Amino acid sequence: MRERGVALAETLELTIGYSSRRRCVRVMEHLSVSAGSGELVALIGRNGAGKSTLLRTLVSLQPPIGGTVRLQGRDLHTIGSTMLPRIVSYTSTEPVAERNITVREAVSLGRFPYTNWIGAMTSADREAVDLALEDTGMLELAGRRLDSISDGERQRTLIARSLAQDTELLVMDEPTAFLDLPSRYGIVSLLRKLTREKGKCVLYSTHDLDTALNEADRIWLMHGDGITEGAPEDLILSGTIAHAFESPLLSFSSHEGTFSFVRGKRRGIALGGDAPALSLTEKALGRCGYTVDQKADVKITVKREKEGWCWTIAEGSQTRSYSTLYDLMVHLPEE
Amino acid sequence: MRDRLPSMKLSLTMTGLLLVTLLLFCADILFGGTPVEAADVVKALLGAGSPESEIIVMEFRLPRALTALIAGAALSVSGLLMQTLFRNPLAGPDVLGISSGAGLGVALTVLTLSPLFAFSADSPLQGWGMILAAWAGAGMVMVIIMAVSSRMRDIMTVLIVGLMLASAISAVVSLMQYFSNEAMLRTYVIWTMGNLGNISWQQLRALTIAALAGMILAFVMVKPLNAMLMGDTFSRTVGVRMKSTRVLLLAAASILAGSVTAFCGPLAFIGVAVPHVARLLFRTTDHRTLMPGTALCGAAILLASDLISTVPGGGHIIPVNTVTSLIGIPVVLWIILGKNAMGGRR
Repeated sequence: MRERGVALAETLELTIGYSSRRRCVRVMEHLSVSAGSGELVALIGRNGAGKSTLLRTLVSLQPPIGGTVRLQGRDLHTIGSTMLPRIVSYTSTEPVAERNITVREAVSLGRFPYTNWIGAMTSADREAVDLALEDTGMLELAGRRLDSISDGERQRTLIARSLAQDTELLVMDEPTAFLDLPSRYGIVSLLRKLTREKGKCVLYSTHDLDTALNEADRIWLMHGDGITEGAPEDLILSGTIAHAFESPLLSFSSHEGTFSFVRGKRRGIALGGDAPALSLTEKALGRCGYTVDQKADVKITVKREKEGWCWTIAEGSQTRSYSTLYDLMVHLPEE
Repeated sequence: MRDRLPSMKLSLTMTGLLLVTLLLFCADILFGGTPVEAADVVKALLGAGSPESEIIVMEFRLPRALTALIAGAALSVSGLLMQTLFRNPLAGPDVLGISSGAGLGVALTVLTLSPLFAFSADSPLQGWGMILAAWAGAGMVMVIIMAVSSRMRDIMTVLIVGLMLASAISAVVSLMQYFSNEAMLRTYVIWTMGNLGNISWQQLRALTIAALAGMILAFVMVKPLNAMLMGDTFSRTVGVRMKSTRVLLLAAASILAGSVTAFCGPLAFIGVAVPHVARLLFRTTDHRTLMPGTALCGAAILLASDLISTVPGGGHIIPVNTVTSLIGIPVVLWIILGKNAMGGRR
């Protein structure tokens, strides 16, 4: 089991926002959440909910308007600027300024808080960099330039840089943005591995609900009334997730923990046949405004035949057959 | 083990570059507008030559070669600082109007102040006066550019603002030229052509001190400069104080570019082009290597430009700006075109 001691990062009645001499914009108030060692914490919420603002406040890139942030049990403002980079690392969505930098050079910069005035690397620093490259699977690509690798590999490089910084808490703003599905899963499973094998606490913001609800130990959910935390399943059961992402177009299934489109008025259609085409046919029919009703007049039967699948639609005495779902849907009975 | 090979290659490249620079420095003293025998040059250097050759070598060639060495290194390092600071491969003293700013300072001293106070060309006051005016002018433009670039994310906007500033300044300078007397005008116009030879030992000393100060300031900043390669947010989260770092970098770049521009005129393209030559040569983005590498490359290239400008005509010395432009423009074009070609090179 993971250690459950003092929270590594916690906020107490935190107010986040932007303040200048002229005015003060409060983005969110009364935020009290925490994250522990060895936990993967996903911060979710709708666009503009203040996810980035919260993360930036946690790493001291902007001051809190009110309330407290504690890292390793210490108030954030009492941690000096030389100490803070050894406790928390941060990866933003800001693009890397110099695209010609090599992977190894970029990861080496993670040692910044530990090197001397000129940034000379000791053998301990080099070992830390090698280890970070190995843990993220980037050792082979260490000599490549950042503009010659894929987006997923670039994200891994930034994670390696955070690892090289050797902090207990890793904060990442949308590390899976712009990535394709396998890369997204690759990144999240890497983050998960770091929490399990290295005991790191990884806090990341994301719009990828599926992965977050499946993989995170804890969810910080930002919604209109503040922030709610808990295991993904807790938030599903309490209905907080469904409430936070409420929209006339979406319905949330607490059973599966997934969102789907709300369909309008539906017509019944009878359906029978072989799996797995059966459930896919039901899905396609749902998109066309049908719901399965075995008492309906029109019946569709799907069968596996030698040359492939065959859909037969029976309407009274008339029957028609199609070899693809697309053809079937085009020829579904009109109103 | 993996790190040993590149570091050996690195010190070899650095040593080679140092040798080339020394060689060019010697060649720059040996060859010049008026032919002097190599043996006479050496004798003159040792203080045992004929009075005529001694004047040529000690009063013209040696200061000239030293100026090329220092100016080349200083301008190039200034360009490197600005390219990292502005995150812009085309940043450089001449492109962003920094040289124009320095020029304005010089124009103010040469065209308006010196007739008023009747400075003699060699008075130490004029040496430092011109340097200070050039620093102030360069620094002023830098601050404006910095303010614009902190608000505008777009690189092109910053470049356009730089170009506009340069035009505005040249308009102001034209106005000053219009109202100044012929002798002053001539001094100023010759200055704008870029000249490494018109420098007295007194001025050379001022230039050396200023350039050294700028170089030391620049070298102290290598660690934050490296962090800035990853972006401002990263730099801040690893503990770089961005505001003071920016101010120090601006100061170093202004001191370096301003001092050189004050005495040698706006030397074209050295500041923009040389850092790229160094990056190509050393294949790294690490400022610990790039900074000395850029300084050496800059010194070597300006020495070579000076050699080319004096040798071919035999008696004639063409403005060094023509040579540096002919060397620098292809490099700048290569940067602009190469950025687009990058995708194809994967």
